[in-house]
Amino acid sequence: MMPDNWGYVVGAYGVAAVALYGYWRHLCRRARALGRNRRSRA
Amino acid sequence: MNATRILGWLAAAGLVAGLAAGFGYAPREAVQGNVQRIMYLHVPAVLTAYLAFGLVLVGSVGYLATRRPGWDRLAAAAAEIGVLFTGVTIASGSIWGKPTWGVWWTWDARLTSTAVLFCVYVGYLLLRAMAEDPEARARYAAVVGILGAVNIPIVHFSVKWWRALHQPSTILGPEPSPIAQPILTALAVNAVGFGLLFLYFLARRIEIARLEEDRDHRSALSFGSGAGRLEEEAR
Amino acid sequence: MSAYARRAWIVLWKDLLTERRSKDSLNALLFFSLLLLFLFEFALGPDRERIRAALPGLFWLGFILAGLLGLGRTFVVERENDCWEGLRLTPGDKSAVYLGKLAGNLVLMAAVEVVLLALSSLLYDVPVFAVAGPLAVALALGTLGVAAVGTLFGALTAQVRAREVLFPVLLLPAIVPLLLAAVSLTRAALAGEPLREAGAWLELLAAADVVYVVVGLLTFEFILDA
Repeated sequence: MMPDNWGYVVGAYGVAAVALYGYWRHLCRRARALGRNRRSRA
Repeated sequence: MNATRILGWLAAAGLVAGLAAGFGYAPREAVQGNVQRIMYLHVPAVLTAYLAFGLVLVGSVGYLATRRPGWDRLAAAAAEIGVLFTGVTIASGSIWGKPTWGVWWTWDARLTSTAVLFCVYVGYLLLRAMAEDPEARARYAAVVGILGAVNIPIVHFSVKWWRALHQPSTILGPEPSPIAQPILTALAVNAVGFGLLFLYFLARRIEIARLEEDRDHRSALSFGSGAGRLEEEAR
Repeated sequence: MSAYARRAWIVLWKDLLTERRSKDSLNALLFFSLLLLFLFEFALGPDRERIRAALPGLFWLGFILAGLLGLGRTFVVERENDCWEGLRLTPGDKSAVYLGKLAGNLVLMAAVEVVLLALSSLLYDVPVFAVAGPLAVALALGTLGVAAVGTLFGALTAQVRAREVLFPVLLLPAIVPLLLAAVSLTRAALAGEPLREAGAWLELLAAADVVYVVVGLLTFEFILDA
């Protein structure tokens, strides 16, 4: 029987969380910049 | 609260449910122990990636057929998010492999296919970045998108046979066999959660693309003397 | 000959003629194949057995490297003389241009392959002529696929920034199945096995070729179009 290796589980989920959260923040930032851009032109 | 916001909250709920199912409901696996729970991240991620690339195909064909930019926006957004989820698939697969296979990477059939897929669509994104004229970009990307999607099953089979030829399947593989019901349920819940997250990202990314096109269109118009001002006054 | 076939033939004939007069690409590519043999020897030698064992893979690496150079160029030359407009204004089905270009690329790659094979059969004592039949099948099927995708992507990247690096970046992941299948078939052919035994690979290669050529025929007009 194998030991539990929770470290790896946390590692995998952690990497995924960072990537997905990071992308979400990236989307928010881009949307905000475009919104600001739009308002300043109008 | 608009539709995208609701989708976002649904996605968050789905992810939480997925975590609960993966860590609470699903049992500790007999052979690998708790490290097998990475599967509830790895498999839904790759399924979502396939969904994304399927949408790239839809958008590509749609654009070539109708020349409406909305289809191109769909393809571009889906490709970007697909690459993200493919990256997550590869990373989680590799991390899962280290304790179970003993190495960070083997040219295992699924990991290899996923890696090739990753390269195909990164190439797609690079092409979009390098093509300057938006109309040509959409056309070229559509051609690459179609070939890439059509190639997916061909890559899958070729890698599988290549793998079978050169190496016996490892005994301690990432997948438990046979697959028990609670495991399938937890997988399904996570798959739905990831699917919702994908749709949320897709909606936001498409909206950003639309805003960008508007902005480029308006700045192109305002190059004419006074034409821009006239247009803005008319609004 | 139908108008469609005539158009494809004209494109092929133009390319062959240009090539015969300037001998631009062909000479350079043939010399490149020779250099590849040096590369293999310096990278993997001097253990002769190691190279002989790796030969099927090395052949295909060599063909593909040469292909990256040759296939990438076929549409760039059109840009240089404003011929692109001429191609765009071709009446009728533009996929005829694709077929003509594909045929030209096949001729080019075949020349490179023959030279590479002949030289390595001398250097590494490979019984190429004994297994010429099955070997030719493996090479033909693999090359057709590489050329089909390469011709399509070559046209596509001709007008794009950073095309010299973008073309390989797009082509290489797409031809992974071809590489896997062709190397297996070539290995079987060189070992003297009847091709029937590698039947699955043969079918995969043939199916992939059909898919790639059809996609090329259907989507080429969108690349020329505006």
